[in-house]
Amino acid sequence: MALIEIRNLTKQFRKGEETITPLREVDLDIERGDFVSLMGASGSGKSTLLNALAGIDKPTGGRIIVNGVDITRLSRGKLADWRAANIGYIFQMHNLIPVLSAYENVELPLLLLPFSAAERRKRVELALDAVDLRDRADHYPRQLSGGQEQRVGIARAIVANPTIIVGDEPTGDLDASTTEQILDLVERLNTELGMTLLLVTHDPKVAAIAGRQLRLEQGKLLEKGREVAIVTADLEERSA
Amino acid sequence: MFRFAGYVLKSLWRHRGRTMLTASGSAVALFVFCFVGAVQQGLEQLTKNRQSERTLIVFQENRFCPASSKLPEDYARVVGKLPGVKDVVPIKVFTNNCRASLDVIVFNGMPPDKLRSARELTLLSGSWGEFDGRTDAALVGQAVAQRRNLKAGQKFTIGEVTVSVVGTFRSAVPAEENFIYTHLDFLQRAKGKNAVGTITQLEVLLTDAANPDELASTIDAEFRNGPVATTTRTKGVFQTDTLADLAELIGFAHWLGYACVGLVLALVATTTVMAVQDRIQEHAILQTIGLRPGRIFRLVVAESVLQSMAGGLLGIGAGMLLLAWGGFAVGAEGVTIAFRPSLQLAIIGAMVSAVVGILAGIAPGWQAARTEIVQALRQA
Repeated sequence: MALIEIRNLTKQFRKGEETITPLREVDLDIERGDFVSLMGASGSGKSTLLNALAGIDKPTGGRIIVNGVDITRLSRGKLADWRAANIGYIFQMHNLIPVLSAYENVELPLLLLPFSAAERRKRVELALDAVDLRDRADHYPRQLSGGQEQRVGIARAIVANPTIIVGDEPTGDLDASTTEQILDLVERLNTELGMTLLLVTHDPKVAAIAGRQLRLEQGKLLEKGREVAIVTADLEERSA
Repeated sequence: MFRFAGYVLKSLWRHRGRTMLTASGSAVALFVFCFVGAVQQGLEQLTKNRQSERTLIVFQENRFCPASSKLPEDYARVVGKLPGVKDVVPIKVFTNNCRASLDVIVFNGMPPDKLRSARELTLLSGSWGEFDGRTDAALVGQAVAQRRNLKAGQKFTIGEVTVSVVGTFRSAVPAEENFIYTHLDFLQRAKGKNAVGTITQLEVLLTDAANPDELASTIDAEFRNGPVATTTRTKGVFQTDTLADLAELIGFAHWLGYACVGLVLALVATTTVMAVQDRIQEHAILQTIGLRPGRIFRLVVAESVLQSMAGGLLGIGAGMLLLAWGGFAVGAEGVTIAFRPSLQLAIIGAMVSAVVGILAGIAPGWQAARTEIVQALRQA
């Protein structure tokens, strides 16, 4: 059983008179420890798929089963709890909370989980060590460079040891040298810490570091040029 | 919730100019609210306490200002013999101003022994011995003493009356603290006020069994054919009648208090709405991290309550201090209403601040909690 099972995932929305379908009955399995990149043209639906998997966007149809939990059936509140425990999200624009220091930004997800203050401190320090920013712990986002901000964002995404880490164009706002540092860091998350990653990118160089490279075209998901095909024999019983 | 206290405080501090302006507005409004509340409480304490219901005031019929009521002092002896009467206190009142005033000075001339038995006064300075020993001695209520900066040993003159201040006192009835007590015969003989044998009013203390209304009718009937006809009412009714015009104004002023509450509500709600609109994306990030919509709602309400209460407590504190130190009172026709601070008023003010903060936070909190995450993140 795959860690993530996406079945018949469809997303539609209306734009004026027009109905747009960025995802049309998409199927995908992601195994624990997979590093998956997702490419596609602008508006192809790659961010929509990522957001649906991260539980911040509701699909129009289909199911997303993570670790046996069908997240499409969760209420807003339960979905938030699920995100706190299972998702680490790396944003394109860093998206740190400006009034909080690097340390406090990284600590945020832990405040939602049953950790003691000492345990929180230990985890935050480990996460900041992992992104090599321990010495910037007291700095505020405005005092950090773009690359440092993104590293704090990565530390925040990994600090609670989530089931999946998702990144929406995590290097999209960075220069070439900083991009390289971030990619190296992301790669280490997968190879050294065994984290499951799904990155959305439009940059082939970024996509190339992933073990699995997917492409979304006209609402369909392709892997190595072919549509992703899934055997769905016992899914009904398992997700019921 | 407390784990996010730092975030809430820092968010308020981020826009400290806006936060402080809002808190200032809340402070001013709660200051006014407390002041209006103190005036109302003063009026209620004056007219609705037990002493006001178990004491009769005998005044000259159809007279309102103390200067125009002239009862024969001998009436005290007659009233004292009536069944149901525990004691009778003859009082000569002299005031510098019969109209409504914020700095009215009211002298009450009473026999010293009656003053001690009929009033619950605690001397803050001076002694009863000094008061008994000097004919021009005056005991000054602490509110007047604060207002006029009077101390024992000073001479004090109002109009044609000059007294020697021999002490100051505190009273169980706050309005009493706006009086200056002198000897009855001194006030009767004061220069230009030679009114020996006449008094302004009689204060009739009743036994527990006496019916105030019946006794009042009996007293008025007794003097109907005498040299001066009387009107007798309970002290509460007398004070309410005397302060009728002021009471109406005070009743109207309480709407001002409510208006202040409305003002704070609008002010805090506006600030909180602005704060939420500025941070739509931030709330989306918090939701992405895993904050439940309910928690986002509570964080926004907490910000709103903090702003409202920070200002509110400041305003309440300033109001209480000013009421305590200012010795403010408004008076008319020799009756005064004291504006005193009270714990009850402070608690009501704090509760109003909290409730206003909660109400002001509901709509913006709801807005923040309902933020569509993906849409909000795209606003980056």
